[in-house]
Formats: sequence, C-alpha cells, structure tokens
Amino acid sequence: MTDAIIQTDGLTRLFKEHRAVDALDLSIQPGELFGLVGPDGAGKTTTLRLLAGLLQISEGDGSVAGFDLRKQAESIKPQIGYMAQEFSLYAELSVVENLQFFSEIYDVDPDEVEGRSERLLAFAGLSEFKQRRAEHLSGGMKKKLALACTLIHKPKILLLDEPTTGVDPVSRREFWEILSELNLSGTTILVSTPYMDEADRCARVGLIYAGRLVICDTPTAIRNELPGDLLELHPDDWRKTRDLLASLPGVIQVQTYGETLHVIVDSAALRLPELEQALEAAELDFRSMRPAPARMEEAFISLINRLGSQEGR
Amino acid sequence: MLFGGALELVLVGWATSRPITNLPLMVLDHDRSQESRRFIVDLENTGTFALEPMVTNVETIEQALLRGEINAALVIPPDFSEDFSSAAQQPTLAVILNGAESIPALTAQRAIEGVAQEWGDRLAVSRIGMDPDAMEGFLPSLRVWFNEALNEAYYTTPAELGLMLEFTVLIFAALSFSRERELGTLEQLLVMPFSSLEIIIGKAIPVMIIGLFDFALMLALTHLFFGVPVRGSLTLLFLLATGYVLVELSKGLVISVMVKTQHQAFLMVMLIGMVDFMFTGYAAPVESMPQVVRFISNFIPAYHWLEIVRGILLKASGLAVLWPHVMALAIIGVVIVTFSIRFVRRTLQ
Amino acid sequence: MVLITPTMILMIMAYALTVDLEHIPIAVLDQSRTKISRMFIQQITAGDDLDLFAQVGSIDEIELMLVRGEVKAAIILAPDFSNQVLSMRGMPMQVIIDGTEPESGNFAVDHIGQRVERFIRDVMSDRMQALGIPEQALLPIDLRVRAWYNPGLEPRVDMIPGLISMVLGFPALSVALALAHEREHGTLEQLMVSPIGRADLLIGKMIPYIIVGMANVVLMPILAMLWFDIPFNGSFPLFLVLSAFFLFGILSMGIIIGVFMRTQAAAMAVSFLLIFFPGFFLTGIFFPIASMPEIMRMEAIFLPGTHYALITRGLFLTAVGMDVLWPYAVMLVGLGILFTGVAALFFKKRLG
Repeated sequence: MTDAIIQTDGLTRLFKEHRAVDALDLSIQPGELFGLVGPDGAGKTTTLRLLAGLLQISEGDGSVAGFDLRKQAESIKPQIGYMAQEFSLYAELSVVENLQFFSEIYDVDPDEVEGRSERLLAFAGLSEFKQRRAEHLSGGMKKKLALACTLIHKPKILLLDEPTTGVDPVSRREFWEILSELNLSGTTILVSTPYMDEADRCARVGLIYAGRLVICDTPTAIRNELPGDLLELHPDDWRKTRDLLASLPGVIQVQTYGETLHVIVDSAALRLPELEQALEAAELDFRSMRPAPARMEEAFISLINRLGSQEGR
Repeated sequence: MLFGGALELVLVGWATSRPITNLPLMVLDHDRSQESRRFIVDLENTGTFALEPMVTNVETIEQALLRGEINAALVIPPDFSEDFSSAAQQPTLAVILNGAESIPALTAQRAIEGVAQEWGDRLAVSRIGMDPDAMEGFLPSLRVWFNEALNEAYYTTPAELGLMLEFTVLIFAALSFSRERELGTLEQLLVMPFSSLEIIIGKAIPVMIIGLFDFALMLALTHLFFGVPVRGSLTLLFLLATGYVLVELSKGLVISVMVKTQHQAFLMVMLIGMVDFMFTGYAAPVESMPQVVRFISNFIPAYHWLEIVRGILLKASGLAVLWPHVMALAIIGVVIVTFSIRFVRRTLQ
Repeated sequence: MVLITPTMILMIMAYALTVDLEHIPIAVLDQSRTKISRMFIQQITAGDDLDLFAQVGSIDEIELMLVRGEVKAAIILAPDFSNQVLSMRGMPMQVIIDGTEPESGNFAVDHIGQRVERFIRDVMSDRMQALGIPEQALLPIDLRVRAWYNPGLEPRVDMIPGLISMVLGFPALSVALALAHEREHGTLEQLMVSPIGRADLLIGKMIPYIIVGMANVVLMPILAMLWFDIPFNGSFPLFLVLSAFFLFGILSMGIIIGVFMRTQAAAMAVSFLLIFFPGFFLTGIFFPIASMPEIMRMEAIFLPGTHYALITRGLFLTAVGMDVLWPYAVMLVGLGILFTGVAALFFKKRLG
C-alpha cells in the first residue's frame, strides 16, 4: 500500500551476528494507532530506533512520511516525535525549560511556543509543576513530560518506546487517554509495549518476537488466532495436573499463569467433560474448570510456541 | 589510561628530558676579525645554540627579539680583537637575552658567560706571561653527585612520573562512587548485604592494584628509556609506593562521595593534581619558594613522595635518611585515610 | 566552580613560582686551614646568595648532607690550597653539586665561580703590581647582559602568561565530558532524533565553555597584574579576541574526544592524556620547543596551547600586535576549524 505513512520491506538490523530485527514488513496507515507488542529483547526498541533514523538499517528498506530511511533519515526527523524508553530529558532543567529547549531545537515559531506549551502541560496534567526540575518529577509525570516534549512541534507521527513501563496503573490509564485523544485528532501513533492489555486499545497490533513480526492484525483477529477454545482451571497441584493434561487428546496446549492453568483445547464442549474425568481418575483436585474468553496473551504464547516448534526448537 | 599514561610519560620525557639546545642566536659582528670569528665558533661548540645568519644591523636583532624569533643576541664591538691583543684593555661584549622565555634565556646566558669566562681566563694568563696550560690548576674541578652524566632525565622524570601516578590513582578513585551515583547504581550497591567498610575496600582494591601496576610500569619505562637508575632499595620503594597510592586513593574516595557528578569529580582531581604538582619541584625547587608555600608543602603527600622517589632512585637513600618524609607521609596518610573512611561511610549511610 | 577553576589554579601555581634563588646552603671542607683558605671561605659565603650551612671535617659528612638534602653544594679545599695560591700555581678545590635538581646546583656553581674569579684576581693583583702590569689587564671580559621584557629573568614573569595558556585549557576537559555525559544519560538520543544539524549540535556544546573561558580570560590578567606584578604591555582587546580564538581551538579538541568516547570516564582519561598533559609539557612553557626533537616540534604545532602561549607572552611582555601575532591567530582558527570539522564528520546522529 503506497499510501502507508510508515512502510518497511524486509527491515533487518544486525548487531554483529545477532538479528535484533529480522525481515520486518510493516505497513502503517496515516492516523492509525498501532501497537508493537512483544517481550523484552524482542526487538521493539530497535524497530522504533530504525524508524526514527537513529540506527542504520542492515538489510531491507523502509520509508517514513514518504522519506526513505536509508537515504533521507534526516528529513524524517522533523516529521516525527520520538520518545525513548529511558528518561532522556534534561534532569537539571525545569518542566517549562525542557519544553522551551525542545521548541527551539525543532524551530517552533516563537509566537506559538507559549500557547502550545500551556496547552500541552494542561493536556499532560503538568500545569502545576511548571517550575519543578525534571529530575524531581514522579515516574509517571516524567513520561508525560517526555510526551509533551515530543508534541511541541506538532509532528504527524509519534514513535513511543514503552511509554508506560514503570508507571503506576492510574497514570497508565491517563496516558492512554491522552494517546487516544491525539489519535482522534489525526496523529499516527506507533507505540511499543510489553503489556498485552494495552494492545487491545490499538487499532492494529504487531506481535514481535525474536526480531520477527509474528502476526500483524487487529486485536480481535489475533485473539481468534488461538486455535480452539480456552479453558481456565485452578488445580491444587498444577505441575502434575499440567503434565497429565498435556498428554490428553484434544489438548493443544497448556499454559501456566502462576497457579492457574489455561488449557487450549480443540473444542470446549467436547473436551471439558473428558478432562474433568481424567483428572478425577488421577485423583488430582481442582477448584473449577470453565471456558474463558481468549486473550491476547494466550494467542501470543500459542503463536510463539507454534513458531518455536516450526523451527524445531 | 594506564598504558596511555605510561606511553605518554615516555613521550613527554623524550621530548623534554634533554639538554636545552638549538636556541636561535643572532650575532652582530662589528669586528669581523679572527678573534671574533673564533669566539662565535666557541659559542657554537657549546651545543646550546643554533646560529642564525649573521646580521648587519641592530634593527634586525630588535625585530627578531620582538617577534620572539631568537633567544639571545650577541653584539661584538669593532675593537674586540684590538682590545684582546692589547696589553691591558678590557674587551667588551654585549648580550641581549629574550626574557620572554626565561628558562632558555638563563641557559643561553650561562653558555655565553662560560665561553666568555674561558676567554677572559686565557687572556689574563697570557698577559701575566703564564703558561696557558698552568691555567688548569686554577679551575676548580666540578663533580656532580648522583648525576655524573648530567642526564637531564634525572631532573624531570621523577616529577613527571609522580604526577602521572597521582593523576591516575586520583581519577580512578574519584570515579568510583561518583560514577555509581550519577548513573543511579549506587542505590543498588547500598542495599546489598555489605557493610560500608566492605564496599569501600571493594572499591579501593582495584585502584590499589592499578596504581601499583602503573607505578611499576612507569618505573620500568623510565629506567629503560631514560636510564634513570634505582640506586636504593627497590623493596623499600615499592613499600612506600603502596603507602603513597593508598593516601592518594583515599583522597580520591573522599572526592568521589563529596561530588554529585563525574564531571565535578574530574575537575576536583585536576585542581588538586595541579596544586600538588607545584610541590613536586618540577618547575622550581620547593626550598626556594615563599615561606608560606614551603610550610604548606609539608602537608602535601606528593611532596614527600617525590623526595622519597628522588632519594631512593638517585641518592640510594635508605630509611635512615628518608625517615622524616616517611613519617610525614605516614602521619598525613593515617589522617587522610581515617578521615576518608569515616567520611565515606557516613556519606554512604 | 567550573567558572573560576582556571583562575584559582593560576593563582596557586603563580604563587609557588615566585621563587627566589637565594640562601642556597653549602658545606665547606677546608683541608688547608690557613689564612688564605679562611679568607676564601669568607668571600664565598659573604652575601645572600650562598649560605654556609656547615663547615665539615670529612667527605662523608658532605655526602650525608647532600643525601639528606641539607646542602645543595659543597666545596672542598685541598690541603695545599694556600701554597698553590700563593705561588700562583693553581687553586686546588673541588665543587660538588647535588645532581638531582639543576637549578640550585647551577646557581651554586655560577656564584662560586664568580667568587673564585674575583679571588684569583685579588691574589694575582700583588704579583701583577710587582710585574708592573696594571690591574686592568686582568679584568674579565666585560659581558654586558641585558634581558629584554624580563630584566630580572624571573621565571614567574614569563611563566604566568604561559600558565594562562595551560590553565585555559580546562574548559576543554569539561567539554570532552559533555557529549559523553549526554550519552550516558540518554539525552543525546533525544538530540539525535531531532532535526538539529551535526555541526550545530557540537558547536552548541562548546558555547557555554567559551563563555566560561572568556570569563577567566578577563579575570586572569587583572589578577596577574595586580597580584603578581606581571606587566601587560599589549592591547587588551586584541588579547580578548585571540583568547576567543584559542578557546575555539582547544574546545574543538575536546569536542573530538567527546565524539569518540562513549563514557565520561573514558573521556576523562583521554582528555587528560591528549589535552592536559601535552598542554602542560609540550607547548613550550617549561621547556623550549626549539630544543625538542623534530617530531615533537611538529606535533606542538597541532596543539593550540603552543600558539596561544606565544600570543600571551607576546601581549603581556613583548607588546606586539597583530602584525607579529597573525600567524598564530591563523593557526588557532585553522586548528579549530580542522578539529570541529573532523568532529562533525565523525559524529553521526545515530546510535549505531
């Protein structure tokens, strides 16, 4: 699709031998809220840095806002707002001073700066903390300030690297409300996150694992990727129960979540009584077993495992 | 830093631990006689000068001095040889030194004076009617103890070595806690099940090893490249080196907890290092400094350390001679180390 | 603190450099012990330059004193000193100096030598009268020595301008750390992702230190003049301009280090080795460049400190103007452009 605002074709980045990002094909539409989801070390940060022009591409191609990543990386920079995972603002400067600094770097019209700063601070809930030094802000406020700084030049595209990691749940929710508003006003947002529940808020999600894009689709579609149905089970002895269940026919996968088991079966209706019987026969107690709605998490893990077995790991 | 420092020591030593030579000298010879020409040749033979082309007027000399192109100029008056061959006239010579570079100027002055004195003595001898060879008996014999070969490196390399060692130890020590604080890992360190003393020792040991290794390396290099001997006890030297490294290390540790950033640590190290350097006697002998300065020097570890180094390397001094410096170093050392441990502990907690 | 560090250091160093080579302690071993020898010893030690620390009875004592550093030189008068002198056959004496540091030793030799000369001529004067030779005949060559710009040849007069050059290099150490600091704290990433140009970014890092440097540039001559009586004979505005050039040159050296070093610790070590140490020893302040091996002389050209030391000495002492100093000014600007250019070339607005 040539009208994609972010387009990559076999995007690859090598660190010595290690393929941090492996043949990524992304196509993000203008105005989309796209989530890049994956565990630590999957390659989310590397992907974002490649798209921001911060890292050199090893193989493949890409374009952002119509500019080629290989040859026109500098031209991309005014079009985007990038928020790094680590706090990357000036700790010694105040909230307002940081905004001022970035407005100068991005050549924002000086007449506009004050108005925009006020609005952004209000938007981010930081109006009362204008004079406070950035290092003295709480974790959540730091992230909001960083976000405000990326917005000062009204970029069309936002690349946010794990903006809610390490932030309290309340601030997290507030942050996502801000993102939704921004998205509604037309900004394309590419967010990376390790939190599966946040993925649900996105229009489309790309699951990334070991540098590869495992799947790229709407959250609903991904959830449906889960083959079969999901049964949730609270056993007493989860280890033995898991081992037993895994050996039974019709059981595709058993996933553990603490002491809870999520059993993926080909048909809940068919297998539920069978499993119950098997467990009783083995004298393994459990508190309840019932169908549960599939979540991204399960889909993701199931996909990973499928990938793993495909590669014969 | 370790190897770079040692390498640099050799480089700097090679560049500067040598006799002063090649000083541009301009001569205006009004006399142009055999005598004057011989005098100029004798000047050249001192090896101190690089003779500029002969000039014909004083303005050239003035310009050259103004531009800093020469270190010295000699003006030989027209009646120089005449006076020389006369029975009782005193020959004169005019020398202009470029005082804007005082160290070469002094060397130039000494060289010229040396030749002039020789000539004056010869003149006197011939006028009295003495046998010129008999003049030998009138020249006091000169012995340079500890440095018979007049190896310049003896003067400069101990101080350079001392300075390099001090800076190396200080930088490493000053970085130890300040780096962790700045990068945020100090918190993590403090919640570990170590007592603050153990943490301090843990930081100190690598610096200690680095410091001693550095010292050994630099000593070996100065010995190899510049022929600086170790006439005294090597064991004693290393023992005392350990003590000195410990003292500087403690200073560094105090710095590392006092400051908030690595940058500040660095500046403090530079400041202290520079000040200490004055007391190593490189630029001028400490004994000739103003009284206040001399008094303060007693409290500077680097001062005592340099005396010890020079003593052991060049004078074969043992504890019998060095004990005042060793005592001073020990006392200062104990004070600094105790203070630093207490201060660091308190700050860490 | 960054602001006045250079000035503080200058003050301290300059103070230590106000050396007065006087009262050099010497020991005397008089093996002759006659009227003549005693007269001689008296002449030697009369005056402020040489002090008689002790008159000893053996060479061993001399050795001990030299080793302990109690005396810097010693004189041994041979047993037949008196006879030899009176019969004008010679002056058997030995001068021993401490070879571990040159200044006091050379000083002692010079001054002892002067005394010896005078003594010989005194002794000879009787004999000369007998021979009918006028005293004037035995006068030494009249060497009229004048030292321009620093009549007393006091080290501090020319060292202090030289030290200004060295001390003003401090901001360069700081600027070397600046980029590494931003790298360590992640703020550099944010700058890299912004549209700011490479050269702009680097020069932007230098500017605060130029200001700091200039503050010191103004302060130091004032202190040098007031406190240390160093003359300032040249044009002050010219000094300001050329100092700015120097700061540009030396800070750009620091920037190059900042571009290549990933951590502040590394930047510290390298800037110390490449800016500070050479700036101290290889720029001709303590040791004349003319006497350095050819390679080092070439290398000194690439150190901004070398040129600036010549500029400071020129403006403080020699009172020259741009007509003499322009080559150095050009070098400073040239080096600055070169180094900044190299830095900008190698600095990529990318993490990898």
